[in-house]
Amino acid sequence: MNQFKYALASLVFLFTAIAIAQEEAPKEREQGHYNQSKFKQLHEEFATPNTYRSASGAPGPDYYQQQADYKMDIELDDKNARINGVETVTYHNNSPDDLEYLWLQLDQNVRTKDTKSALRNPEIISEASEPEDFAKQFINQPFDGGFNVEYLKDANGKALPYTINQTMMRVDLPAALKSGEQISFSVKWWYNIPDHTVNRARSGYEFFKKDGNRAYVIAQFFPRMAVYSDVEGWQNHQFWGNGEFALPFGNYEVNITVPADHILDGTGELQNRSEVFSKEMLARYEKAKKSFDAPVLIVTQAEAEAAEKSFSDKKKTWRLKAENVRDFAFATSRKFIWDMQAVKLGNREVMAVSIYPKEGNPLWEELSTKAVVQTLRSYSAHTFDYPYHKAISVHAKDQGMEYPMICWNYGRPNEDGTYSDKVKFGMLSVIIHEVGHNFFPMIVNSDERQWGWMDEGLDTFLQYMTEQEFGEANPEIIAPNAKYPSRRGDPDKIVPYMAGDQSTISPIMSNPENVYQLGPNAYGKPATALNILRETVMGRELFDHAFKTYANRWKFKHPTPEDFFRTMEDASAVDLDWFWRGWFYTTDYVDIGVKGIKKYYVADKPSPKLKEYMAAQNINEADLPPLVYLSEDDGSETDPGLKGKPSMESSITLKEFMMDNMTEEERANIKNPRFFYEVTFDKPGGLPMPLIVEYTYADGSKENITYPPEIWRKNDKEVSRIVASTKELTGVVVDPKAETADIDVTNNSWPRKEQKSDFDQFKEEIKGK
Amino acid sequence: MRLLKTALLLCILPLLAFGTLHKFYVSVTNINYSEKDQSLQITSRIFIDDLQAVLLERYGKNTHLATEKEAEVTDELVAKYMEARFSIMIDGKEQPFRFLGKKYDNDVAVCYLEVPDIHPSAGTPMEVRNELLTDLYEEQQNLVHFKIGGVKKSFVLVRERTNGVLNWPQ
Repeated sequence: MNQFKYALASLVFLFTAIAIAQEEAPKEREQGHYNQSKFKQLHEEFATPNTYRSASGAPGPDYYQQQADYKMDIELDDKNARINGVETVTYHNNSPDDLEYLWLQLDQNVRTKDTKSALRNPEIISEASEPEDFAKQFINQPFDGGFNVEYLKDANGKALPYTINQTMMRVDLPAALKSGEQISFSVKWWYNIPDHTVNRARSGYEFFKKDGNRAYVIAQFFPRMAVYSDVEGWQNHQFWGNGEFALPFGNYEVNITVPADHILDGTGELQNRSEVFSKEMLARYEKAKKSFDAPVLIVTQAEAEAAEKSFSDKKKTWRLKAENVRDFAFATSRKFIWDMQAVKLGNREVMAVSIYPKEGNPLWEELSTKAVVQTLRSYSAHTFDYPYHKAISVHAKDQGMEYPMICWNYGRPNEDGTYSDKVKFGMLSVIIHEVGHNFFPMIVNSDERQWGWMDEGLDTFLQYMTEQEFGEANPEIIAPNAKYPSRRGDPDKIVPYMAGDQSTISPIMSNPENVYQLGPNAYGKPATALNILRETVMGRELFDHAFKTYANRWKFKHPTPEDFFRTMEDASAVDLDWFWRGWFYTTDYVDIGVKGIKKYYVADKPSPKLKEYMAAQNINEADLPPLVYLSEDDGSETDPGLKGKPSMESSITLKEFMMDNMTEEERANIKNPRFFYEVTFDKPGGLPMPLIVEYTYADGSKENITYPPEIWRKNDKEVSRIVASTKELTGVVVDPKAETADIDVTNNSWPRKEQKSDFDQFKEEIKGK
Repeated sequence: MRLLKTALLLCILPLLAFGTLHKFYVSVTNINYSEKDQSLQITSRIFIDDLQAVLLERYGKNTHLATEKEAEVTDELVAKYMEARFSIMIDGKEQPFRFLGKKYDNDVAVCYLEVPDIHPSAGTPMEVRNELLTDLYEEQQNLVHFKIGGVKKSFVLVRERTNGVLNWPQ
């Protein structure tokens, strides 16, 4: 009965309040609208799940992927910087579709003389330019680096018709390749190898003037099968330069012929070690396989320096075999120093390998293999044990590029062997990043051509964790830094980008060719988003399990963004549609603040304001059941006797209720708040995020409360919460540990703190020094 | 507009790491007017390895910047270098500045300079000369951003054009 009366009373107030609001603002009738909630599920953005890809984010019962196996004979012509090859491709059509034609990728055609890549960008005159750039643009002949296809034949030696459209080649089949069937064909080709230090290509050579040698890092060097899948059909989007690669898995047998004094390593297991290694090298290799704490040199610097002068006319063929890889790359030179170390991962033993010319030393012999070891350990712990038998880090000037088991990395000391911290940490970070790419996208094989962030963002996120773990494991290397100085990953590092000019920001869910700032777009922002998801939104336990589930579900398969988004939710029971929508599909940013605070005290009587209001509504106090009143302490109508008194002492009604309904024992244990506050938070930024609040009380004690992001679901601009406390509230801070990438912290505290400029802060710091 | 585009490009370049990395030489200097202190507050952001290289080249001193071994005379050398390669002129008169110090932000050294007692009348020409690192690198580009009251202006200064002029706004 009592409850009924209270309900009635509150209803009366509610109705009158609404009536007044309507009287005050007579408005034109508004139009309807679509569902604009930031918490709306992503059904409209996501494709409908089907039997290929399940709603859980796992591969469906009919999931399929194609397979492309290669047998190749490659020869490197070091004198003319030319490479030629013959390859036999065996393509397995595991799809349910019959294929009338096949698409192969001719990535080197991005460097034909008439490449459209050079024509697709607008140009403006630069009033001052570096002579090198000027010459490249207006004086030099363009480099002729495209593929020359000599023949394309079927298994019986009969020519197959083909059509080349820029970087894509369509092979027309005489009869459709039926579902479940396979086809073999051969291609003979050659091209001129570019100087990668001039063209900034991902593959090519560096020429060392002093000794007349080249160091080659060779990749996307052979006609490669495009991906055919249930989501894209043929992924034959052109290679323009930014969007990297989409490749099917397969098995490779590759014979590479190079000058006899060259060292070579690449994707796959070496099949003829005893033919290409000296006795000395074989003995050192056996030692390296058992060396778990430090690398063993297979080729020393002295040996490499001696080889630099030999310029052998003889040839040597290195035979490599790889299973279940999506690509093949290799590095070769007579300048190379070579070291290896064994790493234990679960019950597997893997080799961590580094290859570098003397120009990389002393930095490379000190640190490269250490970085490879840490990467294999950290990434394996967060995903799955590294499944290949080795991971190689190759020194290449200004490069940072990944392939299965092998990658190119920058970091060159000065000529006198000294190096700055920038060079050192740059090198460690790029090695961790590129070796890490073995996991994403070499094994968890996402489509880089379409979604740069799926490998770069996930990899940069794991890179951040690995860098931190490297710092913890090697404090002497990172000293005097207390923690590894990661460039990306910490929330505050992404603020300048997310706070930037909206006309130069694209959503993460954009094609890499069309974004303005690829670095923060595909690397920094997704990495930071995942870090925030792990530390602040989901917590490590739920996140790590879900992330591992995704990695294991999709290793050696082709995931899409939705497979990732769906798995993270399916494995954790955390609804993240709002998070994906805000962080990945929009360019919204985080800005949450504390807008204001109202104080209240408990009373037995309505405040004068409420009385006035009741009078206007013709309600008598006597008509109402006994109520507990809260009056605003706005300075004018305050009853000083009631302020800060325990609620039960201020309100007889409350006291009576407690006496009637609670035992003495229960009453002894109650909270008896004295101070009441309505704290209002506002959200100028578009992204909903957990509302992380630190309350400080008069006695100096602090209380931290995190309200879930769903607090914003009905009002995206402003929400209030009540604080009822036995202590007076003296301060409120939103996001006190700066964990949400809030772009403007001037509104994060009550009372407002005066925000000093960086310059004034610095002046303050140096005062008295 | 063109300058703006160049500036934009320069801001974007360093973000294209991994895959398309290119060694480039650039510094960024912000010059803000503080109404409160009636002074020009200047911050110059210079890559640590570039700064270290130029100090070594000019003064023959390896300063080991941002390490435990950082030389005690470093700040003195940096101040000396800034005085030699950077100046502010108002109405044609060079304004003495104070080198307050520096701090490190990842791979960048942030130098703090202050020019006190600045209260020119509207329209007075103010000129900045920025030759930082152009003595070492031919390709060095120095971005300068002015912010005075609500007025912003940017310059890209290179070896061939080291000065930029702005008239003091209303």
